[in-house]
Amino acid sequence: MKEKIGNIFNLSWHLAKVNFKLRNEGSYLGIFWYLLDPLLMFLVLYAVFSQNIGLQINHYPLYLLAGLIIFNFFSSVTSESASIISSNSHFIKSINIPAESLIFSLLFRNIFSHLFEIIIFCLFLAYFKLSVLGIIFYLPLFLLLFLFTAGISFILATLGVYANDLNNVWRFILQVLFFSSAIFYQYDPSITILKYNPLAIFINLNRQAFISLQKPEISWLFLILVSSVFLIGYAIFTKNKQKFAERI
Amino acid sequence: MFEPKPQITLQKAGKKFNLNLARKESALFRCLNFFSSKDRNKDEFWALRNITLNPRKGSIVGLIGKNGSGKSTLLKMIAGIYQPDEGMIKTEGEIVYLTGFGQGIMPKLTMKENIYLIGTLLGLNKKEIDEKYEEIVEFSELKNYENSKIYQFSSGMVSRLSFSTTILCLKRKNPEILLIDEALDAGADLSFKNKALEKIEELIKGGATVIMASHDLATIEKYCDMVLWLEKGEVVKKSLPAEVIPEYIKESQKNY
Repeated sequence: MKEKIGNIFNLSWHLAKVNFKLRNEGSYLGIFWYLLDPLLMFLVLYAVFSQNIGLQINHYPLYLLAGLIIFNFFSSVTSESASIISSNSHFIKSINIPAESLIFSLLFRNIFSHLFEIIIFCLFLAYFKLSVLGIIFYLPLFLLLFLFTAGISFILATLGVYANDLNNVWRFILQVLFFSSAIFYQYDPSITILKYNPLAIFINLNRQAFISLQKPEISWLFLILVSSVFLIGYAIFTKNKQKFAERI
Repeated sequence: MFEPKPQITLQKAGKKFNLNLARKESALFRCLNFFSSKDRNKDEFWALRNITLNPRKGSIVGLIGKNGSGKSTLLKMIAGIYQPDEGMIKTEGEIVYLTGFGQGIMPKLTMKENIYLIGTLLGLNKKEIDEKYEEIVEFSELKNYENSKIYQFSSGMVSRLSFSTTILCLKRKNPEILLIDEALDAGADLSFKNKALEKIEELIKGGATVIMASHDLATIEKYCDMVLWLEKGEVVKKSLPAEVIPEYIKESQKNY
């Protein structure tokens, strides 16, 4: 058992490194895209909203960037996971590898780029003369985000084997989530969609930690939700993974 | 007398595939099909049926048959990549599955990166691959190309690299089961083929049970203790090579 987990971890880590390298293959700016992607999005939203919605929000640039970074992690992992099994069919069909490692490698690779974004965020904090100590609270929050994202990815990866349309459907859902997660406007728990959107809750908790330096208040209900998403996703995936090789 | 326990046991194993015909994929068809229960099972296709096999430990079984007769499906089922839909398959010990089609090779990576990738896919960690790296490069005879990317390789080079890496990245020195799926038919030249066969012989001497699928009847005849002739997923004949191969050749020529 211990050997098996070590094996999955080792393989996921290696695949993450390989794909990180492959993504930058043949592009001029290479690794800088990891910085540029979120920054460009930030600049656009900032230019549009800083003089209206943003005026009522304290430290609006930080507020906006924190939202974008958290959302970006979730969306870049899940948007790829729907097609991850079929795009790695050459592995699945010829080597008996643990299929979970494809999902974990996707998560690990996005942690690399997430780290870059966190570094930018810390630079922002320093520029606005705020403490970077909030990062202590951030670590357990990230663990929860990781589990939640992994659970959703497991479900998407399994469904994606059976229906290619899932990619398009999920892209649309991500867009809906983007506008309903209080990324660029004020978070208000009295609005139903914000109260029940897990991403909005994640983003709000992270802002509490980073910007207000408060210990994030995580409700039991939320903890149970996150862990059950992970467990259910993982169960669905492992139950179906033996059928993947013949479906793709 | 002491009978060694077989490492591979297949009992009436079978595998079916659902044929995904284009019309079946469309939404309209699915909706119609949802309401009418007829012809739901019509497009099933049994790739293998009723395969019973339990080779002695250390024996070499050859698989012959036309394209699409189920050779690869059988090997993939033993390797655990496919699950049987009927009957049962039991294996014991480490399984090595070799194919000649550059399994897991990434064309955009260099040869060195590919060796590390395949090694990791086969369950080795970095240190273990470090130890075997030199030997792999030497065996593949591709010393000067370590840092070239694979898409510039010829297909023979890819097949050499793939074989060398897989066979030398074995977790233990002696795998219990070796499955060879035309690993030596695709692209490698004669001198490499002989070298590769030598390596396989070494593994056989170490006590591995081997199942090999090949179109190279001379190799099958030379090495195998038993030959399984498959046709449309079913066993036509299972016997000594000297009995099966002439008949298979006769049958193939007749159809021609």
